[in-house]
Amino acid sequence: MSKTILFFASLFILLTIAQALVFNQICLFGVALPLVFIYFIIKMPMSWPTTVCLILAFLLGLSIDILSNTQGLNALCCTLLASCRRPILRLYFPREEEMSEPEPSSKSIGLAEYLKYSFTLTFLYCILFFVIESLTFFDFFRLIIKIIASTILSYLFILALDSLSRRKQ
Amino acid sequence: MRNLIDFIVRYSSWFVFVILVTISLVLLCEHNPWHHHLYLSSAGRIGTGVYELSSEINGYFGLKSINADLQRRNASLEAEVIRLRNEIDRYAEAVYADTMKLIEPLQPYDFIIAKVINNSISRPYNYITIDRGELDSIRPEMGVVDQNGVVGIVNLVSPHYARVISLLNPNFRLSCKVKGNDAFGSLVWDGKNHNEALLEELPRHTIYNVGDTIITSGYSAVFPEGIPVGIVKATERTIDDNFFTLRVSLLTDFSRLSNVRVISNKYIDEIKSIEDNSNENDE
Repeated sequence: MSKTILFFASLFILLTIAQALVFNQICLFGVALPLVFIYFIIKMPMSWPTTVCLILAFLLGLSIDILSNTQGLNALCCTLLASCRRPILRLYFPREEEMSEPEPSSKSIGLAEYLKYSFTLTFLYCILFFVIESLTFFDFFRLIIKIIASTILSYLFILALDSLSRRKQ
Repeated sequence: MRNLIDFIVRYSSWFVFVILVTISLVLLCEHNPWHHHLYLSSAGRIGTGVYELSSEINGYFGLKSINADLQRRNASLEAEVIRLRNEIDRYAEAVYADTMKLIEPLQPYDFIIAKVINNSISRPYNYITIDRGELDSIRPEMGVVDQNGVVGIVNLVSPHYARVISLLNPNFRLSCKVKGNDAFGSLVWDGKNHNEALLEELPRHTIYNVGDTIITSGYSAVFPEGIPVGIVKATERTIDDNFFTLRVSLLTDFSRLSNVRVISNKYIDEIKSIEDNSNENDE
């Protein structure tokens, strides 16, 4: 148990710093922004109480906000995403009690289900983030391109991160 | 009472959800950057701690191009020094001739050199964090320039750091004019490209050519007159027939900011108190 907490605490800090220093500086063709820190929300164990998940997601969003001067934007999107996590998992894997370990992964819910689950969350986050962000300059075509490009880029980074952490275990 | 407690415990996650969403919405709706909280910005203690570390490392990568820029600037300054020296010699002779005293021109502007520790160019609202703050006598509403042109205006100040509203932020409008012409307009970023901005509300009778330099107008106490801002690239089509809108390519390279100068005007308090007084008299 304490091992899990230690793992998630270091994941929180590492993802926040990596997002601020590395991923925020990457902006391919001015449209594709990798939002990699949501990996934390994807991986949080399903056994944790919803309240704890919501608060952790909010804090994660808030620390990203502090480091990228987007007051409140990521905090809102992260809270919304954390609340949608369980329904989305149920969509692909209805028998939650059959998970072999509490964290969603390719091992615990099956590769295809896990890929679908993490893609849906990434896509949902990109939609929330860019729609709320673009309430000022509304340019529909650009918004769609941004959402699609950022989803693909973030998803690739998240898969890469996932394969790294799996090898370690 | 017991039922109420049971109710709260059972639906606690919904309460937490509603509270968190409300907090984020309140933060998000403070749209005006002058109302942002210092501790929730990149000039706060958490933000600067992280960015100071990374800028120590990143500072080395841009050295080559900065060096080239500086050398170019150095060459032009050297040429200017030689020219001015010649001029002084000429004046000195003239002064000698009719024994008149030269009046020193008023020098109201001082510069504070600062280093950029965080910068963004791809967001709709961009901000810059610099490593000088209140203790280095930086105050909100000071102008920031680099060796090429205007960068932004200081917004939030902590003891050692400050956040600057970048020119690439639609909340910042800069009063500018075409060089050699007194008609002025307002320069604002349109959120598309970090090398371009729009000069709006330029009177219809203004004469300009593509390739003309755009400079600050000096109508606010923040920037002195004549700081270069950009070069006219094209005319934009507008709905309003009384004004021109020009597309301006910016001289400052925001993707490679490193050292900037903050302009402090010795007489800004004086100018402000006059403006405040006249406003009060008008009311």
